[in-house]
Amino acid sequence: MSIFIQGISQISIQQPLSEEWFDAPVIPHTIMSPSIDPDFGKYFSPMESRRMGVLIKRAIATSMDVMQKTGLNMPDAIIAGTGIGCIEPTEKFLTEMIENDEECLPPAAFSQSTHNTIAAQMALKLNCHGYNCTYAHRGTSFDSALFDAFLQFKLKKIESALVGSYDTMTENYFLMLSKLDYWKSDFCGIQQLRHSKSSGSISGSCSLSMMLSSLPSPQAWCELKDVEMFYRPTILQIKHNLNSILLRNELMLSDVDAVVMGWSGDRDNDDVYYELKEHCFKDVPLLWYKQLFGESFSASAFGTYVASVCLREGRIPKHLFFFPEDFEKVKNKPRNILVYNHFHDRDHSLILLSK
Amino acid sequence: MTDIVVTGLGITSALGVGADDNCTRLLDGRSGIGPMHILRSKHTHLPVGEVDCTNAELREMLFVEPDAAITRASLIGAAAMREALFSAGLLYKDRSLRVALVSGTTVGGMECSEQFYHDFLFTKEKNDYIELHDCGSSTDMIALAFPGQFDMVTTISTACSSAANALILGYNMLQMNRADVVVVGGSDCLSKFHLNGFKSLMILDDQPCRPFDKNRNGLNLGEGAAYLVLEREETARNRGISPLCVFSGYGNRCDAFHQTATSPDGEGAYLAMTEALRMAGLQPSDIDYVNAHGTGTINNDESEGKALMRVFGDKMPMVSSTKSYTGHTTGASGAVEAVISILALLHDFVPANLNFSEKMDSLTFKPVSKVKIGVELRHVLSNSFGFGGNDSSCIFSKIS
Repeated sequence: MSIFIQGISQISIQQPLSEEWFDAPVIPHTIMSPSIDPDFGKYFSPMESRRMGVLIKRAIATSMDVMQKTGLNMPDAIIAGTGIGCIEPTEKFLTEMIENDEECLPPAAFSQSTHNTIAAQMALKLNCHGYNCTYAHRGTSFDSALFDAFLQFKLKKIESALVGSYDTMTENYFLMLSKLDYWKSDFCGIQQLRHSKSSGSISGSCSLSMMLSSLPSPQAWCELKDVEMFYRPTILQIKHNLNSILLRNELMLSDVDAVVMGWSGDRDNDDVYYELKEHCFKDVPLLWYKQLFGESFSASAFGTYVASVCLREGRIPKHLFFFPEDFEKVKNKPRNILVYNHFHDRDHSLILLSK
Repeated sequence: MTDIVVTGLGITSALGVGADDNCTRLLDGRSGIGPMHILRSKHTHLPVGEVDCTNAELREMLFVEPDAAITRASLIGAAAMREALFSAGLLYKDRSLRVALVSGTTVGGMECSEQFYHDFLFTKEKNDYIELHDCGSSTDMIALAFPGQFDMVTTISTACSSAANALILGYNMLQMNRADVVVVGGSDCLSKFHLNGFKSLMILDDQPCRPFDKNRNGLNLGEGAAYLVLEREETARNRGISPLCVFSGYGNRCDAFHQTATSPDGEGAYLAMTEALRMAGLQPSDIDYVNAHGTGTINNDESEGKALMRVFGDKMPMVSSTKSYTGHTTGASGAVEAVISILALLHDFVPANLNFSEKMDSLTFKPVSKVKIGVELRHVLSNSFGFGGNDSSCIFSKIS
């Protein structure tokens, strides 16, 4: 059974619900660039809008948008990824509990605080009784959600799925993570994220919804060929996994037109990708995306998104090449793109997309 | 489709550390729910199902350094994991096996975040527990306690059905040959955040919980962890490990009714159970025992009871909720109760639904109120339902 990405919608640092960034990206100027929200009035009544947190609103808006654009309105499965879940209500309830010393707490924030609220609210909005699941595994939350969908398609359990990843950054969480050197302390522009010798990246939020279906259609963006995840691999194991994913899909490394990687400007994070380049992808053009979308637990979703848009458009814009000289190497329309993601060199994932 | 079998179990709950202790107390009818000893909440009048070990004791048991940053959820999880791996002959892993870990949690590192939140925000130095706040890190810490053991790791967080959904992903990975062995389950400890959250929803009973009782008045929170080792029947045979039972079917359906309440007719629960039966190729009458989600809240037991009546009609199998022993172990409950269901299957007994006295008016059946020993069980069904209507059911069958 083949799996097609029928469409993707996103809300991020870039123009919402569009692929404008492909040729005219918004350039982040600060380490905590805000997401650009669309007009939510199209999706919610003013009453609903007041009641819902921004993460849920964005998740539903991107889901409704992708369903409208693909004409697929009732997925067999809804599968979400989220690193820190509904962090706003979580922080609200936590703060109230501490400040009020466990007394007189209203339940609203707690009810919205579980990670599965996002996928559950989507099911509620669609009245969808199908398979529903949420992955919360740090920087591979999206990858896990996609992996789940992939397996179910291959086992013929589903014929369509709404898969996405959703994270917002709050001021408090930003502050906490800055103590762990997650953000560049001396940020002076995205050119600094290339070949950086210091730690930290720039922060971004993510709401990305993707519609997958097993029915071929002329509007499909690309085919999802494979998803593989592994934990704390040695370079030898990575090579082995890369070979098996290519072999399974009857491809040679020379058939791979580009590899999308999660370069973020954080020295430790990027070292893994330099090593991959040296040992696995010496002559393959390498792309990046976190300079446009920022870093978050859901950021890897943008890797698959960027690759899918390149396959749909049949070209790769110059600004996506991590090594600018690689731009000249891509002569033909890209046909196969790999997406490589890792989190703290512990969780790794490989996703193969084809035209 | 090849058979997916269970070849190892590990459980840490209010009934003890290890399957033997848990089984003994289920057979003896001794609940683990009692006064709060370990959780530092001011609501000490609320009974809870605590794992009867301090963090220091758990650290010692697991050879974790006294000052290493690790959460209670990860410690409890590592204890259950060690037993599961040991019982499946995997503690000293054969390097050629691809072993994955899929774990469910809803508390994550909250138990530490709520203690150090002020430090997280206002002190200049980094606090190691910041990194351990999110759900994924909780699984990561369990995986790191067994170096070289796992080739793939992920975390599911669907509130109180998290661990049941971990079983489902594990099943699918094995059918697709993406691993040789998948260790599935979940781990959650008690936290003030969740105790106060459930309290704010007014669904905590200040007495020991009474699932399916006419006068039930809410749930008791518990903590625990459990893991099951799943593999293809053929892998188990080649490894020379005898399977404990077959994981024969599952259903995952969404109630799509309300964020925290369940539908009056238990639609999601009904769909999950019927899907599990269909997948296992079984008739409702083949199920001998249902380990119900049975939280003891007015809402859950009403809607789960209705769903059970819709599935089983007048041929209701034996039903009990073992949350009356362990408390509601939230994200871990799907695995804790899967292990209890399998212990029942292996030892041919039905655990009691404690504290039951009066039948609910709206239901036609009563739960099993006294442990039944020596009843032959062939197929057992375990229900796990979560906030947001994330409803999952799993069926375990005796090796034929």
